[in-house]
Amino acid sequence: MQPTPEILFAALGLPFLGALLVPVAYRALGERVADAAAALALVCFGLLLTQAGRTGTVAVPWIPALDVSFVLYLDGLSLLIALLATGVGVLIFTYSGGYMPGEPGQARYYATLLAFMGAMVGIALAADLVVLFVFWEITSVASFGLVGHYRETASAQRAARKALLVTVAGGLFMLVGFLLLRWASGNVLETATFTLVGTEGSMIANAEAMRAGLREAGLFTPALALVVVGAAAKSAQVPLHFWLPDAMEAPTPVSAFLHSATMVKAGVYLLGRVRPLFLPSEVAPLESEWVLLVATLGLVTMTVTAVLAVGATDVKQLLAYSTASHLGLITAGFGFANHLGAEAGAFHVLNHALFKATLFLVAGIVAHEAGTRAIDELGGLRRDMPLVALVTAIAALGMAGVPPFNGFYSKELLFEAAYEAAHEAGGIAWLFPALAVFGSVFTFLYSIRFLMLFFGEKPELLGEVHAPPYAMLAPPVVLAGLAAVVGASPQLAVDAIVGPAFGSAVPGPPEHAMSVHLPTAVTPPLVMSAIAILGGTAAYPFYGRLHVGVRRLAAGPVSADRAYRTLVGGTERASHTLLARTQSGQLRTYATWVIATTVALALAGYLAAGVVLPPFTGIGLAAPTVVVLAVAVVGVLAVGRAPSHVAGVLTLSILGFMIAVFYVLAGAPDLALTQLVVETLVLVVFLLVLDKLPAFYGDPDRSRALRDGALALVVGGTVSVTVLLATAATPGSPISSYFAERAPVPGEHGTIITDFGGGSNIVNVILVDFRAFDTMGEISVVAMAALSVLTLLAMRGRGEAE
Amino acid sequence: MSDGESTVIVRTVARVVFPLVLLTAIALLLRGHNLPGGGFIAGVLTTAAFALVYIAYGLDYPDSGLFGRAPDGVSPFDSGPGLVDGYRYLSAVGLALAAGSGVVAVLLGVPFLAQAVVFVEHLPLYGEIEVASALAFDVGVYLVVVGALLTIVAVVGAE
Repeated sequence: MQPTPEILFAALGLPFLGALLVPVAYRALGERVADAAAALALVCFGLLLTQAGRTGTVAVPWIPALDVSFVLYLDGLSLLIALLATGVGVLIFTYSGGYMPGEPGQARYYATLLAFMGAMVGIALAADLVVLFVFWEITSVASFGLVGHYRETASAQRAARKALLVTVAGGLFMLVGFLLLRWASGNVLETATFTLVGTEGSMIANAEAMRAGLREAGLFTPALALVVVGAAAKSAQVPLHFWLPDAMEAPTPVSAFLHSATMVKAGVYLLGRVRPLFLPSEVAPLESEWVLLVATLGLVTMTVTAVLAVGATDVKQLLAYSTASHLGLITAGFGFANHLGAEAGAFHVLNHALFKATLFLVAGIVAHEAGTRAIDELGGLRRDMPLVALVTAIAALGMAGVPPFNGFYSKELLFEAAYEAAHEAGGIAWLFPALAVFGSVFTFLYSIRFLMLFFGEKPELLGEVHAPPYAMLAPPVVLAGLAAVVGASPQLAVDAIVGPAFGSAVPGPPEHAMSVHLPTAVTPPLVMSAIAILGGTAAYPFYGRLHVGVRRLAAGPVSADRAYRTLVGGTERASHTLLARTQSGQLRTYATWVIATTVALALAGYLAAGVVLPPFTGIGLAAPTVVVLAVAVVGVLAVGRAPSHVAGVLTLSILGFMIAVFYVLAGAPDLALTQLVVETLVLVVFLLVLDKLPAFYGDPDRSRALRDGALALVVGGTVSVTVLLATAATPGSPISSYFAERAPVPGEHGTIITDFGGGSNIVNVILVDFRAFDTMGEISVVAMAALSVLTLLAMRGRGEAE
Repeated sequence: MSDGESTVIVRTVARVVFPLVLLTAIALLLRGHNLPGGGFIAGVLTTAAFALVYIAYGLDYPDSGLFGRAPDGVSPFDSGPGLVDGYRYLSAVGLALAAGSGVVAVLLGVPFLAQAVVFVEHLPLYGEIEVASALAFDVGVYLVVVGALLTIVAVVGAE
């Protein structure tokens, strides 16, 4: 059944509308705005829920000239992501109502969070690559604002910048990949398209032809790699994972929402979405670039970040590395060519959102109520908050992959997918399952470590621990309850939501319906799970030593974060050096650089276009004109020799008035009049400010005089060339004849004329009628300039830029 | 301006020339549709007239001499004489007038900023007179130019 367009657009538009209204609502409601936002998210969630089970596209044209249309596509996968965004959104807004009071910038916080939620729904529903990209970038910008929520702290600023640079840079790679896809679609389809999915002429509907076209042009691997880089940056895959732990500077509800449940899922969502495009339905695992690239990337990320999580000292940092690790699991799942992989990916998207958002919210409660986030300083919290301990146990055991909790099933699917791939390909492919098991040992380790915050002895230094308010308690309880339900009866979740989502990530129709249950026989994946759990249990007593070892390893020379710092630091230093040279604070330096750059660009443009100067046909000037111009030249020469400011200004105005005379001679009275009054005004203004200027007419040194002279000559030459080129072009029917015809009052006319200018001064009629829009723009600029002068001069003393 | 008073010659000339320049400016504005002139030129000329007054009588004179206000009427922007506020409103009004004249055209069902001309006949003394809707737009241009340039002149002059 087709989705209802109004409902989809409402679910997409409401959050943005809400974001606009937040500042007003905050004034009226104060901190209760959290409830309003939660209600709005609930409405969106409900709207989307009514569309469950429907598949299809709805479209409105957006940029018809570029063939970009606002196409929304709904299917299982997009519904899963959109429901996660809005559903977790409801809980996050509720939780924020308990977490945020007393924090600064709440209106900004809720507005950004709502806009983010809308953008996330947009990513899920976009069928068009351009629309997808726009929403993708909106989430990056929202993440920037939220990570940097505590604007005053330097670490938050650094973290926000890092998150923005990495995700947006990745997004740009992705954009290039999208453009390659569009180009390829132009070759193999009837019309080039940006539409990824959902229509007859979409890329995925013609995946076979698209792949063939890309391969023919040798662009298959580049396009795949570019899209994967974008997804990897967003989903914190190695080696672009390092921004995620830093992003924990954000308020904890943001970490739970953006950096575990939703935004970082955008990357893996995209992988699931383009999977049918890049992956043929029948292929050997080691022959497909998709498997080699994506599965390897996912497994390496899963293992590396799981190890790093063991080295974490901060609760949220541990969860951040763990998030990257689980995103790696999802990536790996989508990376395997068999159906099991897609099942693992789709199912783990749901499972991870459930347990990880819970754990983040728990971390927020712990930090809020115990006053610290350092793992070493926490312990025995079970006595003070038993309910939170229960919630944590459900979520952490799910994260560890212990049966019968929810994470176990999706991890089993991944093990099975890895095992099948290795079984089929043999040889080096056995590294896949080995790596998956190795990573899972560490996953188990840090999951248990997190759980142990609630058990054991309470450290003496840890002071009074309060019980959390209900607004903060209810969301994790709901999430953990859902996780427990999924764990107890996985088939229920699969039938309801995961099954259709898995179908979207498979090329062609799925061969069989997805079914998940507790294993009843000893199978290879069960053995792998057992190894992971037993290995983790055996290694847990040595957690302290592992922790130290990992920290030592992470401080070593090979670190993505170090590479980032070197790159950004180098850029900053280069920028400082350049700034000191080009923007010295002296007007002369600015003028030199601006003028020289303009000239260089113009001349380079002429060279690149290969323009030819018109032939010289002799000078055809009347005697009076020659005299006037000669006087002007003399005036210019005199300016250079003027002994004082006043003399200089007066001499300069000789030039101006001569130009006015020239206009008169050339038959342009309006121009002459304008030139005259402007010249007069400039003269008067000069006189007004003259005695404030420094007497800077001292002796310039030789090299500077030469440099300035050369620059002046080049500028003059460029302008002359430009004038010659511009005037040489004469179009067949010049527009001036139209103006001359339409501007005056026609010979015969009625009382009202609208299609003629009705004035005999053509210049003015052009200004106020034919080209009134231009004039409108110009006077806006004039008014803007006045405001800028006013603001700059008035703000100067206020030290806004401290 | 800071160092000492301007000479009597400057003051006297300014006093005589100021109204003449203003008159010329308004004439240029009104006849612009059919003869050389127009909003921009008239605006610049008006600004020049005011600048002359500033030079001759100092920056506070238009405020105290024309409106009888105390010279300490400082604008909220804390720079320039008190009249700067007035100038800012002037350019805002001008911009609104220019844009408004375009919106009226839209309301009448023609494109934004389309202009029309109406001939009013049988007037005493004048006989037939041509009223161009473009005049409203031109007055808007004039006000923006006067307001903006005077803001700049007054603020920069006050430095």
